Amino acid sequence: MSTLDADLRRAAAAMSGKEALIAGERRMTYAQLDAAASALAARLRALGVERGDRVAVLLPNGVEAAVAIYGTLRAGAAFVPLNPTIKADKLAYVLNDCAAVAVVTDDALAPLAEEARAQAPSVQAVVHAHGDVDPEIGAPPPPPISVDLAAIVYTSGSTGRPKGVTLTHANMTFAAGAIVDYLGMRAHDRVLCVIPLSFDYGLYQLLMCVRTGATLVLERGFAFPGRVMELLAEEEITGLPGVPTIFQVLASAGAHGVAHDLPELRFITNTAAALAPATIRALCDAFPQARLYSMYGLTECKRVSWLPPEQLEVRPESVGIPIPGTEAWIEDDAGARLPAGEVGELVVRGAHVMQGYWNDAEATAQRLRPGRWPWERELRTGDLFRADGDGFLYFVGRRDDILKSRGEKVAPREVEAVLHAAGGVRTAAVVGAPDRLLGQAIVAYVVPHGDAELTAAALLRYCAAHLEDYMVPARIELRDALPTTPNGKVDRRALAEQAAAT
Amino acid sequence: MGDTEVGTGVRAELRAYIEEAFLYLHPDVQLRDDDQFLELGVIDSLGFVELVEEVQTRYGVAVDALEITEANFGSLDALVAFVERRRPS
Repeated sequence: MSTLDADLRRAAAAMSGKEALIAGERRMTYAQLDAAASALAARLRALGVERGDRVAVLLPNGVEAAVAIYGTLRAGAAFVPLNPTIKADKLAYVLNDCAAVAVVTDDALAPLAEEARAQAPSVQAVVHAHGDVDPEIGAPPPPPISVDLAAIVYTSGSTGRPKGVTLTHANMTFAAGAIVDYLGMRAHDRVLCVIPLSFDYGLYQLLMCVRTGATLVLERGFAFPGRVMELLAEEEITGLPGVPTIFQVLASAGAHGVAHDLPELRFITNTAAALAPATIRALCDAFPQARLYSMYGLTECKRVSWLPPEQLEVRPESVGIPIPGTEAWIEDDAGARLPAGEVGELVVRGAHVMQGYWNDAEATAQRLRPGRWPWERELRTGDLFRADGDGFLYFVGRRDDILKSRGEKVAPREVEAVLHAAGGVRTAAVVGAPDRLLGQAIVAYVVPHGDAELTAAALLRYCAAHLEDYMVPARIELRDALPTTPNGKVDRRALAEQAAAT
Repeated sequence: MGDTEVGTGVRAELRAYIEEAFLYLHPDVQLRDDDQFLELGVIDSLGFVELVEEVQTRYGVAVDALEITEANFGSLDALVAFVERRRPS
């Protein structure tokens, strides 16, 4: 049975006493996770959640987030993972967009959920992951099946409005299985996840561990690298997923000659942005016992490609080959496949390809097109790639203007919309500047209204109050005017060059 | 006590830096010396990288990634103690 719910049931039946989750002082076995998921499912049903409904999960990394996800699935509903630094307006937008009927959250985030709920009439309940079950609740519903909706994962769209990527159980178990396959993950693996579970890269660490019966150690972010190094040793971690921002810092631990002796660490994975060759070398020196996987993907199909670690020295800049059981190729604008060396759009086919964007047929039609078979649809990634003579893929650039900061997608228009709403702003333009730690730093250029007394600090404050943390500009510069193109539009390329030069 | 004098100076300097670099985004927050930056939400993962760089350049303290822990950087109290322990005398 290819469902995420079946994965948990299988793990709980086969290895009930094995540790599933570790988060701070909390430890949970597979039997306990399974029981907690059943209990939450019963409570959600008692609150009126029905099969096929959407339930938002607004939680930081912790056992509660895992219980919320699997409890929602066990109730037959789909979960909507949300970044805990989301602000009320955007939360309300997302809750309305997917017509969420419940929000699972904690004490710290409940006021935010309640504030958003006031603008989201579909939401019937704001609940905690743990709680008392009504003994009167009737028999559980039939379990979800593979074609059911499992999750809606919101991602930044170039229009500035987040788009909900719809994924079935079949999509997610297939993608998780393919990644488990190339990483060679087993039940004895212990994965440390500092990436938010609201980000699909973090989320899949949970799904993959549950699928294999492995142990997931959850940490809230990467603020204290020293703590991460301690956890790697104390918890005998075998797998560490990260993004370049994290590895830049960790690699320096090796450069200082104090890398812990970590005999268990077997694999390190990187995605979201390419690692600089110097970081790759430093990581390999700091963690010589681990295999380093360079990967590429997008939420719309989870993962596209992986570079077998033995190829790292041969093709350090490549993001590798399509994940097992899928195909990917490069096309020109007319849809003709391109030979090795030529740059075009990367197209993907396989069971990992999403079902479309929630409630957005137009955006779906731009990304998904009819495939080889009447029932199939292929994914146009919107990313420019080339392949070498052996079929290894190389990322060249993006077709849209989406930025990647800290490994997360940021739509300039979403940030600009917030700046325009700040008051006193005539024009705002947001571009990316290359940054050693962030990948791209978000830089905003703002032209105030003539009589407005604006300061960059006040605008930053406004952004911090209205955007997720990773979308807040690294700096804002006030200008009298912005450069324009011959047809009168803001010249983003010129601004990006200015941003890169400062 | 000379140590206390130094402590006061470092504490005032670091508080001023944190206010200028991070707290302006959180006008509602009144930071106490033992408040945990992360818990309070005033400094995030990348903020700590900036904070560490500031400590290294301002006080000439070499900080290894392994030393970036809650015990050393988690609060103003922790930070002051770390700098006093480690800066060249």
